[in-house]
Amino acid sequence: MSRNSSLQKRLGIGLTLGATLLWLLGVAASGLVAQHEMNEVFDSALEETAQRILPLAVTDILNRESNTGNRTAPALKEHDEYLTYVVRDRQGNLLLQSHDADPGIFAALPREGFTNTSTHRIYGASAVSDTLYIEVAEPLAHRREAALEAGIALLVPLFFLIPVSLFGIWWVVRLSLRPVIEFQHSIEARGASDLSPVNKDRLPEEFEPTAVAVNRLLERLNRALDAERSFTANSAHELRTPLATALAKVQRLKTQLEDQHLKKNVVEVEQALRGLSTLTGKLLELAKAEGGGALSQQPHDLVPILAMISRDFETLAPGRIRLTVPDHEVNSLLDPDAFAILARNLIENALKHGSVQQPVDVIMTDDGRVRVCNGGDIVPPGQLAVLRNRFSRHDTKAAGSGLGLAIADAIASGAGMTLHLRSPATGRADGFEVEINVPHAGRNPGPCT
Amino acid sequence: MRILLVEDTVGLGEAVRDQITEDGHAVDWVQSLRFAETSFRTTTYDLILLDLMLPDGHGLDFLKTIRSSGNSTPVIILTARDQVSDRIEGLNAGADDYLIKPFDLSELSARVAAVARRYRGNPNPLIQVGNLEVDLRDHRIQCNGQPVELTAREWALFEGFIQRPGMLLSRQQLEDRLYAFGAEIESNTIEVYVSRLRKKLGRDAIVTVRGMGYRLETHES
Repeated sequence: MSRNSSLQKRLGIGLTLGATLLWLLGVAASGLVAQHEMNEVFDSALEETAQRILPLAVTDILNRESNTGNRTAPALKEHDEYLTYVVRDRQGNLLLQSHDADPGIFAALPREGFTNTSTHRIYGASAVSDTLYIEVAEPLAHRREAALEAGIALLVPLFFLIPVSLFGIWWVVRLSLRPVIEFQHSIEARGASDLSPVNKDRLPEEFEPTAVAVNRLLERLNRALDAERSFTANSAHELRTPLATALAKVQRLKTQLEDQHLKKNVVEVEQALRGLSTLTGKLLELAKAEGGGALSQQPHDLVPILAMISRDFETLAPGRIRLTVPDHEVNSLLDPDAFAILARNLIENALKHGSVQQPVDVIMTDDGRVRVCNGGDIVPPGQLAVLRNRFSRHDTKAAGSGLGLAIADAIASGAGMTLHLRSPATGRADGFEVEINVPHAGRNPGPCT
Repeated sequence: MRILLVEDTVGLGEAVRDQITEDGHAVDWVQSLRFAETSFRTTTYDLILLDLMLPDGHGLDFLKTIRSSGNSTPVIILTARDQVSDRIEGLNAGADDYLIKPFDLSELSARVAAVARRYRGNPNPLIQVGNLEVDLRDHRIQCNGQPVELTAREWALFEGFIQRPGMLLSRQQLEDRLYAFGAEIESNTIEVYVSRLRKKLGRDAIVTVRGMGYRLETHES
């Protein structure tokens, strides 16, 4: 799993959290402004109430037969008072109060202007040459309740707006990143051998340099692989031609010699040249196998190639190869040259190291798996494990370079396949089997008969 | 057979030429495409041995040219290019066989013989014509059950007859088979070799068609 999180996810979460935070800050600011404005309105109402009631209270008090003594203004109708008031003289003697007023919330002496107690906001005003004071009180709880309700009124829409903005942000991010995701999928979907340039037409401007860099890299890789293939091919030509000349000359010389001692020496030179030819060929094959290029850009039918390679051995080991191939095409992105080298090495290995009395089965199944099985002694597990190493040879008297399985393994690895070595072969008590695990839907292999 | 060998590596060309000549074929050896084209235009060949990487071009171009002209002379490619895709390309261009360097000269001889047999429509190397039993693989002839020894030039001429039993071969066709042995073809060379073959195979084995040429008899004499 990748440690790098998705850009889409990161943008979605980041933008949503950011937008939510901004919404909350906006609501908080609005709430503060609303509270400030409400306080002004409430204060104004408080002041206005005092101003309105004071003349009436003064008239009421002055019209009394006795100016002293508290009177409670009767309630016309039963109700709760948000605003309560008291009218007092300069010494704090209570002269008049509203019916819900609690004289305890007021200070001992009357004061003009706005004052706060722990529970109330109070406004005081005076009349008749500062001999009568009215104080109107409003509970702070009332104001808090109003501020709370206003805040809730601002917050409630957020419960709907945040999911909507989340969805909107996700949708916009997804829509904007779609070309990038398509670009990513197109790179993921292409085969390991596909070195053609990536399409950057629909990519956003910010990602274009990445695509350009990828294309430059692919081009360089392609050139390097071509150069390597070309070098291998040229090396093959430059090495094979003088070897062919030397071998042909020696073979001609052999036919012309009468002296048996000289002839024996020439035969030894011929054998050495053959060995050198074989080793050169194997080393070139290994160089090609390890140099990549095991996959091609286009699929190829492997059936005729396997048939051709099997036929090549017919003169060397007449009748020993039993070829079983499907009667339809088996297309694969495996490079035909690489597959031919792989098949040749596996068959050569089986013919060389298998029992000469038993046939070599070369089987290709419908799903493209290739198995080469031969009879003969069981290869112990310890030796089986090291057979694919270079210059590693099973304890055998047969001539060989010890590179065949290493070449086949390098090609299989280069193509993302696995070379399975088994001994005894599937479905039998002896022998050796090699299977290439071609990436197709597998089937249970039948026995090597 | 008259064989055109196109090979620019001198040592290899010499060895192949000597081997094929020893097999009883007449070989014209050229080292470039230019000479190959000239030789091909002037002489009829039974088979071409063609190297691919030549100093003045690619052997496949030569092969494609002769195939596009409708010529079906068998061609065996001799090359150091060992990739199966090269081989497929060569075979698709019209080659009959593909031999990768380095090769055994004996394998080359066998492939030359096999391709020649296939070209004549009879892949069986054992041929019976009249009282003659011929094994093309090792140039063995039995006449009435008795082995017959032929020299390389006699075999070269005889192979021309045995490939086309009952068919008339012109003096020129027969001379072409001997020409590459390097010998000057004198006016009576063909008569001399036909006479030698008659001595070894029987008087009536080869019939003279006056003014036209010679023909191998197909019925027992």
